[in-house]
Amino acid sequence: MNSILSNKNKVLLTLLSIKGPSFRFSCLRFTLAVKFLRRTVCENICLNHSKLLQEGEQRGIGLIVGVILRYGTPATSGHDKSLSCTQEDRAFSTLLVNVSGKFFEYTLKGEISPGKINSVEQNDMLRKVTFDPEVFFNILLPPIIFHAGYSLKKRHFFRNLGSILAYAFLGTAVSCFIIGNLMYGVVKLMKIVGQLSDKFYYTDCLFFGAIISATDPVTVLAIFNELHADVDLYALLFGESVLNDAVAIVLSSSIVAYQPAGLNTHAFDAAAFFKSVGIFLGIFSGSFTMGAVTGVVTALVTKFTKLHCFPLLETALFFLMSWSTFLLAEACGFTGVVAVLFCGITQAHYTYNNLSVESRSRTKQLFEVLHFLAENFIFSYMGLALFTFQKHVFSPVFIIGAFVAIFLGRAAHIYPLSFFLNLGRRHKIGWNFQHMMMFSGLRGAMAFALAIRDTASYARQMMFTTTLLIVFFTVWVIGGGTTPMLSWLNIRVGVDPDQDPPPNNDSFQVLQGDGPDSARGNRTKQESAWLFRLWYSFDHNYLKPILTHSGPPLTTTLPAWCGLLARCLTSPQVYDNQEPLREEDSDFILTEGDLTLTYGGDSTVTANGSSGSHTASTSLEGSRRTKSSSEEVLDRALGMGDQPVSSRGTRLVFPLEDNA
Amino acid sequence: MERQQRFMSEKDEYRFQHQGAVELLVFNFLLILTILTIWLFKNHRFRFLHETGGAMVYGLIMGLILRYATAPTDIESGTVYDCGKLAFSPSTLLINITDQVYEYKYKREISQHNISPHQGNAILEKMTFDPEIFFNVLLPPIIFHAGYSLKKRHFFQNLGSILTYAFLGTAISCIVIGLIMYGFVKAMVYAGQLKNGDFHFTDCLFFGSLMSATDPVTVLAIFHELHVDLDLYTLLFGESVLNDAVAIVLTYSISIYSPKENPNAFDAAAFFQSVGNFLGIFAGSFAMGSAYAVVTALLTKFTKLCEFPMLETGLFFLLSWSAFLSAEAAGLTGIVAVLFCGVTQAHYTYNNLSLDSKMRTKQLFEFMNFLAENVIFCYMGLALFTFQNHIFNALFILGAFLAIFVARACNIYPLSFLLNLGRKQKIPWNFQHMMMFSGLRGAIAFALAIRDTESQPKQMMFTTTLLLVFFTVWVFGGGTTPMLTWLQIRVGVELEEELKEAPTSHQEANSLEKNTTKTESAWLFRMWYGFDHKYLKPILTHSGPPLTTTLPEWCGPISRLLTSPQAYGEQLKEEDVECIVNQDELAMSYQEQAPSPCRPPASLSLAQKASPQTPSKDNIYEGDLGLGGYELKLEQTPGQSQLN
Repeated sequence: MNSILSNKNKVLLTLLSIKGPSFRFSCLRFTLAVKFLRRTVCENICLNHSKLLQEGEQRGIGLIVGVILRYGTPATSGHDKSLSCTQEDRAFSTLLVNVSGKFFEYTLKGEISPGKINSVEQNDMLRKVTFDPEVFFNILLPPIIFHAGYSLKKRHFFRNLGSILAYAFLGTAVSCFIIGNLMYGVVKLMKIVGQLSDKFYYTDCLFFGAIISATDPVTVLAIFNELHADVDLYALLFGESVLNDAVAIVLSSSIVAYQPAGLNTHAFDAAAFFKSVGIFLGIFSGSFTMGAVTGVVTALVTKFTKLHCFPLLETALFFLMSWSTFLLAEACGFTGVVAVLFCGITQAHYTYNNLSVESRSRTKQLFEVLHFLAENFIFSYMGLALFTFQKHVFSPVFIIGAFVAIFLGRAAHIYPLSFFLNLGRRHKIGWNFQHMMMFSGLRGAMAFALAIRDTASYARQMMFTTTLLIVFFTVWVIGGGTTPMLSWLNIRVGVDPDQDPPPNNDSFQVLQGDGPDSARGNRTKQESAWLFRLWYSFDHNYLKPILTHSGPPLTTTLPAWCGLLARCLTSPQVYDNQEPLREEDSDFILTEGDLTLTYGGDSTVTANGSSGSHTASTSLEGSRRTKSSSEEVLDRALGMGDQPVSSRGTRLVFPLEDNA
Repeated sequence: MERQQRFMSEKDEYRFQHQGAVELLVFNFLLILTILTIWLFKNHRFRFLHETGGAMVYGLIMGLILRYATAPTDIESGTVYDCGKLAFSPSTLLINITDQVYEYKYKREISQHNISPHQGNAILEKMTFDPEIFFNVLLPPIIFHAGYSLKKRHFFQNLGSILTYAFLGTAISCIVIGLIMYGFVKAMVYAGQLKNGDFHFTDCLFFGSLMSATDPVTVLAIFHELHVDLDLYTLLFGESVLNDAVAIVLTYSISIYSPKENPNAFDAAAFFQSVGNFLGIFAGSFAMGSAYAVVTALLTKFTKLCEFPMLETGLFFLLSWSAFLSAEAAGLTGIVAVLFCGVTQAHYTYNNLSLDSKMRTKQLFEFMNFLAENVIFCYMGLALFTFQNHIFNALFILGAFLAIFVARACNIYPLSFLLNLGRKQKIPWNFQHMMMFSGLRGAIAFALAIRDTESQPKQMMFTTTLLLVFFTVWVFGGGTTPMLTWLQIRVGVELEEELKEAPTSHQEANSLEKNTTKTESAWLFRMWYGFDHKYLKPILTHSGPPLTTTLPEWCGPISRLLTSPQAYGEQLKEEDVECIVNQDELAMSYQEQAPSPCRPPASLSLAQKASPQTPSKDNIYEGDLGLGGYELKLEQTPGQSQLN
């Protein structure tokens, strides 16, 4: 009886929290109705408004439900009783209890610190709405992260790879360290003032620094996408935030793993420190390898089977393989979320090209829906958690300190790094871009999930409360201020590289000019470092032909002695593609990366345009666009004879089409 | 009592968590293997093994490995603690063990005699799902997808027959199986294999009801691939879908049938209570499911949500899921609610969705259906070895095999005979034989059987069900193609052909079909058609005649409010009135493409072929004169013009 009742409660409450989104739809509907009534200039603004409200609204609903649950439900008696009827000295994972002739099975949930026994959730109802934090890591975050990886805009992503990696790795480390130090100062201050009632170590501060370094500017990115803000800025922000999350997860778990030997467990210990660094590197590279390997396996499977005749099977295989990555990484003790991210990137880069057209749209849409649901669920749960979580520790000094720290941390991360990067970059990161990046330091799902994962100790509870407030503040205030900020910083919006190639992006002019191949070579050389160029050519010469149906046949790129292997790995399509253009192959290999990228950008923007405008003229525009792009292709063909690249480029980069 | 104690240090706990990942991983790999095998089979046009059969084979192999290759060392605690202080079972238990307090969560109640086998192989224990997962996670998408993809045109044409088979047929089959099994149980008692009083008549009926849920996925997949006669397909599919709903509710009502004194005696009050329960739950679930679908239809109609396909898909998904959850929360049957929600969504909401969303929802649920179905069948294979309380009883199993065939025969032949009296378009003998043959058991029977395996009879039933499912899926599923040829059932009935034929033999076909409809569907159905067309469609979708014309004068304002502007616009053009009616067909033909994806040209040509036929006027008038024959003809629909 008891179980039935509790089950129903859970169902009902899940229902309540699920209702959140549908309420939100009605809000959205309202804004849209307004939009349709006016149909004036403010159309775009209104639309933005609704987009912008998306996360905020979600949380608003969550908050409301949280308030209702907190104060509107009677505090039903806790059924918890501390028993002392065991003589055992161990805890079992399963327990059979004989209660007046009936046998009941209990499973171990966790250990409770002795001081907390009384405060174990008294309100049954509230406890039911509190999810196991592992749900976030095992169910909700993977689709979000996978989708992010799967939809990285490859063209701009690869062009800015160096900067993105610098921001993500160095930047996160810097930010973590600075926030940790500042918070340590705050904690010391609190100790002096006497506000601290329990222990708070330096490692705790660093841990806080690590979890709060995971930026998640969904709101800002949605607005950028809507307004077609500068693509470079978009790529920088998006790439940074995606990799950021991965770094922050691994960083926080390696900080947790930092356990100095000896008596003083919170002093600095070089050995333990290096062990932590080792763990960081090990987990990160392990997860990376795991993700990349399963991506490659999927690519091979889809390449060598004729699975594309059955899109359903193909989609299912794709989904299962990607999910396996996560499970495999978790089972091996790596971080599943990181593995899934790199799996997503690999899948987009290779497997996507092997899929049938229908499967492409299916996988895109499937992960889009999953991502959408999961993200909204997390955000609405955040609102709920503010009230239903029962161990909040609000400490004003700590919270204010944290706010100051995250801004300083962000500033200390963006400006110096941008300065250093600008030394090496041809195409500088402008001041307004830097300000915008500084401004877009929103915190979101990842920080929340990391903070809620462990709320056993006092310090962790304080962190959780602070993280929650920071997420609220940044999403509502900063997210809401994006559009004004964009106009205030004079950042170009409505960039449509298809119509007018942006002046800052001179590779286009180079491309269409009469063939200074050398100039382009220089550009590529200067912008991306030697390592990346090496990677590009390796990717194009060997990986793409092995893993996909495109690229030059392996028989030409591989040395003669492995001819047999090459022949067996090359798909017949490649020969067909290759036949007429054998001579021209050689000179585009180096620039393949660049060209693919440009093409990708084009199609992306086309997709943006048509989805953004929603006007009757879409089809007209579309036809015009295709015409212009075909002209472009012609231009290129005349220019340096790399038409094959563009035609193949379509296929390679098609994935990006839906990114909008 | 032997026990080995395991200390749950933090490290163990870590391992404990990751165990979950490993189990899921095993399932993932099984499914991946299944997919690849199925591709191989499909590629070589090898129709003997459906993907569900393949999944079962892999599950079996994995179960065999797990059973015999893993050492049963890891025995978990089987200690029984006596807590005299507790009068009830709390949902959370805090236990103080040497100054560490552990929190335990309530899992389930265990009957007494299961305690010792309970401490078995820990790995096998881990690989065993909570049976509620089937009902809460895996079955809903399958059932919703079934409802969402019912071929409405033929479905409504055969509605009467389908309902008869589903309701009467299931009842007959349940009673027949119950009686036969009771006979066998008596024989077993006589033979000394069973103690008297262990196995009541209600248990037999319970077995009968859970065995009545047919699930011919395998057969249907083959039918679909071979384009078997659509009427047969619809009869089978519709029957199996509704069958499941009936069987679930029936099982539930039988399990709550508890006479006051003697559990074996007949108690009229308890019986009528059970019947009332059946009706109440069925009607309640039906109402809940359709209510949610109606809400979805209204929401999608009156918002401009169709501009954002993703939001639309999200809303659709969430509301359909809500139907399930709220039915469960209200004490009804979520699966039945979800089934009717699916049917209603397909009937109304589908027409309001944007083209993109139509595609997305179809594909989403198709995908979920595929995964869930294969997981269940894979798990079935696994369960044969990993479930630890199997009771194999040869006599009972033999009896069950006999019983299901007899019951299927008692269900199909007499009912078909009765139906043929009323039907103009008779159900021929070979169809009846085929239906008799397609009495496969599948996911629902398994899920119902595994839900309760506490008592000994229930364990015996579970084992028997498992074996029956294996046998029917492999043998009958594999024998479908030979059976089809042997029974000389028309295959290769292309939809296109029908379309081609349609305009030529328009007149006579039309009048003929109208007649059939008249005789076939009773007065009630015709009334429903009219009501649906005149009131429900205009209210819930953008199609249908404007309400201002169909509703009486005095509710003018409401009707004006509820009619969408599109409806007025369409009324101006005469032909469009007809389009509306045919919206269903679009859904149907559209969905036709989805499962057979490797032939995109076919579906394309279908759309192109359909559009040039200008809707012939007479047909429109027929439709308008309105006997409900209108859904028999495929005409140009607004959706199709968008398609081109």
